[in-house]
Amino acid sequence: MGLSWLRPLAPLLLAGSLAAQDLKEFEKKVTEFTLANGLHFIVLQRPQAPVVSMVTFVNVGSANDQTGRTGLAHMFEHMAFKGTDTLGTKNWLEEKKTLALIEQIYDRLEAERNKGPRASKEAVAKLEAELKAAIEKANGFVEKEAYSTLIQQNGGVGMNAGTSTDYTVYFYSLPSNRLELWFLLTSQVFRQPVMREFYKERDVVREERRMRIESNAQGKMVETLQMSAFLAHPQRTLIGHASDIENLRARDAEAFFRQYYVPTNMVMVIAGDVDPKEARRLADTYFSAMPTGPTPPRVLTREPDQEGERRAAVETPSQPLIFFGYKRPASDHADDAALSVLSSALASGRTGVLYKELVEQKKIALAAFASANFISQKYPGMFIFGAMPGVGKTLDENEKAILEIVERVKKEKFDDAVLSRVKNQVRAGLVRALDSNFGMAQQLAANYMLFGDWRRMFNRIQEIEKVTAEDVRRAAATYLSDTHKTVVYTKAPAKEEKK
Amino acid sequence: MLRITLILLIGAAAFGQPAPVKKAVPRPAARSVKDLKFPPMKQVRLPDITSFTMANGMKVFLLENHELPLVRGSATIRAGNVFDPASKTGLSDIFGEVLRTGGTKKQTGDQLNEMLEGIAASIESGVGETSGSLSFNTLTEHSDKVLETFKDILTQPEFRQDKIDILKNQYRGVIARRNDEPGPIASREFDRLLYGPATPWGRMMEYETLDNIRREDLIAYHQRFYFPSNVILSIQGDFVTSTMRQKLEKLFADWTVKNEAVPPLPPVSQAPVPGVHLAAKNDVNQTFFRIGHLGGTLRDKDYAALEVMTDILGGGGFTSRLLKKIRSDMGLAYNVSASWNAQYDHTGTFYISGSTKSESTVDAIRAILGEVERIRTTEVTDEELRIAKESAVNSFVFNFDSPGKTLGRLVSYEYHGYPKDFIFQYQKALEAVTKADVLRVAKEHVKPENFTFVTVGKPADFKTPLSALNMPVKNIDLTIAEPKRTEAAATPQTLAKGRELIQRLQQAVGGVEKLSGVKDYSHTAEVKVLTVPGGLKVTQVTRIIPPKIRYEQKLPFGQISVYYDGAGGGWFKGPQGASPLPPPVAKQARDELFRLHTALWLSDRNSDRTVNAIGPAAFEIKDKEGNWIRIHLDEKTGLPAKANYTAPDRGGPVEAEAVYSDWKEVDGIRLPHKINVAQGGKPAAEIMVTEYKLNGSLTVEELSKQP
Repeated sequence: MGLSWLRPLAPLLLAGSLAAQDLKEFEKKVTEFTLANGLHFIVLQRPQAPVVSMVTFVNVGSANDQTGRTGLAHMFEHMAFKGTDTLGTKNWLEEKKTLALIEQIYDRLEAERNKGPRASKEAVAKLEAELKAAIEKANGFVEKEAYSTLIQQNGGVGMNAGTSTDYTVYFYSLPSNRLELWFLLTSQVFRQPVMREFYKERDVVREERRMRIESNAQGKMVETLQMSAFLAHPQRTLIGHASDIENLRARDAEAFFRQYYVPTNMVMVIAGDVDPKEARRLADTYFSAMPTGPTPPRVLTREPDQEGERRAAVETPSQPLIFFGYKRPASDHADDAALSVLSSALASGRTGVLYKELVEQKKIALAAFASANFISQKYPGMFIFGAMPGVGKTLDENEKAILEIVERVKKEKFDDAVLSRVKNQVRAGLVRALDSNFGMAQQLAANYMLFGDWRRMFNRIQEIEKVTAEDVRRAAATYLSDTHKTVVYTKAPAKEEKK
Repeated sequence: MLRITLILLIGAAAFGQPAPVKKAVPRPAARSVKDLKFPPMKQVRLPDITSFTMANGMKVFLLENHELPLVRGSATIRAGNVFDPASKTGLSDIFGEVLRTGGTKKQTGDQLNEMLEGIAASIESGVGETSGSLSFNTLTEHSDKVLETFKDILTQPEFRQDKIDILKNQYRGVIARRNDEPGPIASREFDRLLYGPATPWGRMMEYETLDNIRREDLIAYHQRFYFPSNVILSIQGDFVTSTMRQKLEKLFADWTVKNEAVPPLPPVSQAPVPGVHLAAKNDVNQTFFRIGHLGGTLRDKDYAALEVMTDILGGGGFTSRLLKKIRSDMGLAYNVSASWNAQYDHTGTFYISGSTKSESTVDAIRAILGEVERIRTTEVTDEELRIAKESAVNSFVFNFDSPGKTLGRLVSYEYHGYPKDFIFQYQKALEAVTKADVLRVAKEHVKPENFTFVTVGKPADFKTPLSALNMPVKNIDLTIAEPKRTEAAATPQTLAKGRELIQRLQQAVGGVEKLSGVKDYSHTAEVKVLTVPGGLKVTQVTRIIPPKIRYEQKLPFGQISVYYDGAGGGWFKGPQGASPLPPPVAKQARDELFRLHTALWLSDRNSDRTVNAIGPAAFEIKDKEGNWIRIHLDEKTGLPAKANYTAPDRGGPVEAEAVYSDWKEVDGIRLPHKINVAQGGKPAAEIMVTEYKLNGSLTVEELSKQP
């Protein structure tokens, strides 16, 4: 086959150590620039089809939520779809006044409620009624979903956003001739967001919590694991506590925005059919007016050392499940690559140790998994395991079987065949990732923001290459310690006793 | 060889003519969207796809694309779970997976796993409702090896028994877990009601149908459906078309089996089932709902108008009426959407789904019905129609953003007998849709009087009861049918083996003579009940003169005594006083009698019971009332290691397992002094027997006397 010049990534196939060369090929397609206000752009040219994906990546996540205001990072994410002072309103001046009025009434309501036992019930009821009326009045000025409608009308697809412990991300794709629309809308939203329909959206977010956590056994398990393992660090909850969500204020969201959505804390990635010069011109045109602000504070709380195993039960009529995690350092730690190899060797595919032993040999589990990163990469998080017992099999025997494996990998090294399998998969995974504009945009953004350079996507392969079987064993022995373990399991609700 | 040249059709359909290149003139920032002027959309380059039929009758589509060093492919097989026999519902699921995991004549499944994962390649198989697929994905450098393995799996699968057993075991878990999450319950029960739970489109795998599936069925399935003229193979990626074609011709030259064409799909012919259906799930605080009726196919002449109508009502994204009303305006849901959900080859379902907090269930449903009524009675606005159409036209390019999408579509059209340019025909039809069309199709095709409402939630928390919807409310029974164990086939051989095994047991515990000598029996046990938080300690004294049984339980809050006279009568006495024996307690007493060690171990001498071997060291004892127990012997000692049976539980019968240990001799009979019981997979009790007494001269008087 004589077409190899068409294959920019062909060198990848020759040997594992050539990631550096792939990087050189890839670098030719990537353009980076930073505006005077500190806003960074990464542009990836992939002209195969006339479409383009855009990712706005903000270095703020639920870990930045303050006590009593959990859920705020996620709540703000929802507000970023509510439009601007020119889009989504029938009369901005009137709407703005009404939004201010809502806050005033709410202040008075909170002041009255804060009196505690001495609060006047009538005053509270009256203010609540006023608040409701003001919210309805403001609602009258809203052109519903104008922002998302406009994007959709222009052929935008895949519009969504997400909040994690570490970051917040906004994205969609457009036909490439409409890229300027993204510049216009994104620059307006992130220069001056409006807290339109805040209190209705708060109800939506509350429903989201009911759906994801409160009405979902696995959701409850995950949150219980976070809250049991982390007593101090704010990765305890992602979506926020129910009562915090119910009391979030528009004003808090605005202040949160001003503090964290500053140019130096954000990166914009554009991937697809895009001319980097044009992207630069549009970036200057639309984003140079974005005001700078002080670089936001880091999260300084460190989780105190765990002094012993913790166990927590979740009562549910659902079928049994067990999750458990061990504390581990953040992803910028030197042992991260070894832990990542460990999780792949344990849990990937049908050759992973967990699947082979628990599902196939012992036949005690329907599924078993391990993951090196729960539920943060930026902060020290956890290396977790989980199992779903088979019918008639117990949580106990599954936990024991996994612990046996844990003890083994702390003592014995994996075979070279296992290591080379994991490494081959990591390399091939990168090749497969290159197939998607959106996937690439997100990875470039995350690597830039969390590790300082998008090139880490490629350098990571070299880090993984260097991992030895002894590195993996040592990492397991260092971190998979009972003292730092937290176990969460389901338990059938108590029932009246019968024979 | 057919070259597909859809590129000709494109300009006319949606992309406009390629515009002359203009020099970019610097422009100031637009203040509003109205100031933006977009350059014309660029022409899409449609991939060059080669298709041909091989000598053996297999259709092939090839798409050469060197962007990445990958080769990916997929065989589409005309099969589907709608062809499964009702008694083996689930056959396609098992077949689809074991085709891959069960290995080939040359390699076991484990060897395949090692080989494929070692080179970061994958081959995966599955069968859905109306088609099967076997796909692969590999780096170019391994493509020959992977392609050969792919062919082996497609043509020479071995369906090894161990992998069938593992998968069936996993599916048992899937069945056991199917009522854990409310969302999937709503969609499943909705489909079952609409298509009819006994039809090929609506039925569901149960323990019993799963048990019926055997290796022979998988072999027969493969013979019936996996033959060349029933397969479409498509491959894309880093290869040269002519070389790949030669390779395939050579590789598949020896696959020449023929078979009759697969029959047409069974018809969908279910009358509407209007009404409200409630599946109570008391551990949730949201109601998950699905509302609608049967819909249509992509062939329907009104399909484009129906898509526009559903899109305006509740389509994807955030712009639909339902989302604006229920989510943005009322704040009642995170998710709410409508879907026309047309299918290529059979009637689909029109549905509106979402979830809302328990309290607002009826409010949300009423608001939804209001929107349904509105779209059926009033024309949509010009603006709404314009937005719906513009969205479709402008996002059309995303149907072509990777060459693989075009290939996938062509294969689907070929498989379902649709024209190759169907997507362009559809786009044209969509552009022609008028407001009047939208209103007409909403009136003709959306019938609220026929709506089936499925709700899954906690009715006690509904602010307004479902009956306020003025329709009959029926309960959906989520109880999972217990596995019927009668399926273990009894042949003269297995029955002979069963006798041999139970005799081994009899020898191990002390011999038939000793066992036959037991006339009455009592034991005292310390029971630790584990299903109660913190554990509950119970002292239990059991006394039996078959078929009469009496037991007392000392609980922290008082004592319970039970007497069963062996003929349906007896009494129950608790802290609140005495009563005739409630039927569930009588059933428990009969279960205890059935499982009484000494009598159970003599079951081969009881003409009401059968003893049938179900494994090398396991046998099943059944009686005429349908009681059963499976005993697994310790291969070394011949003593029972564990036993499985059904035990009553709050949600219906569950499978229980008793593990026996601490065997000690009592009057010449070895008896277990420690028994660990698990129910439904969870530890339920630890039983320590402190004393067994055999032939203690019990009298019926002392058993039947109330304390």
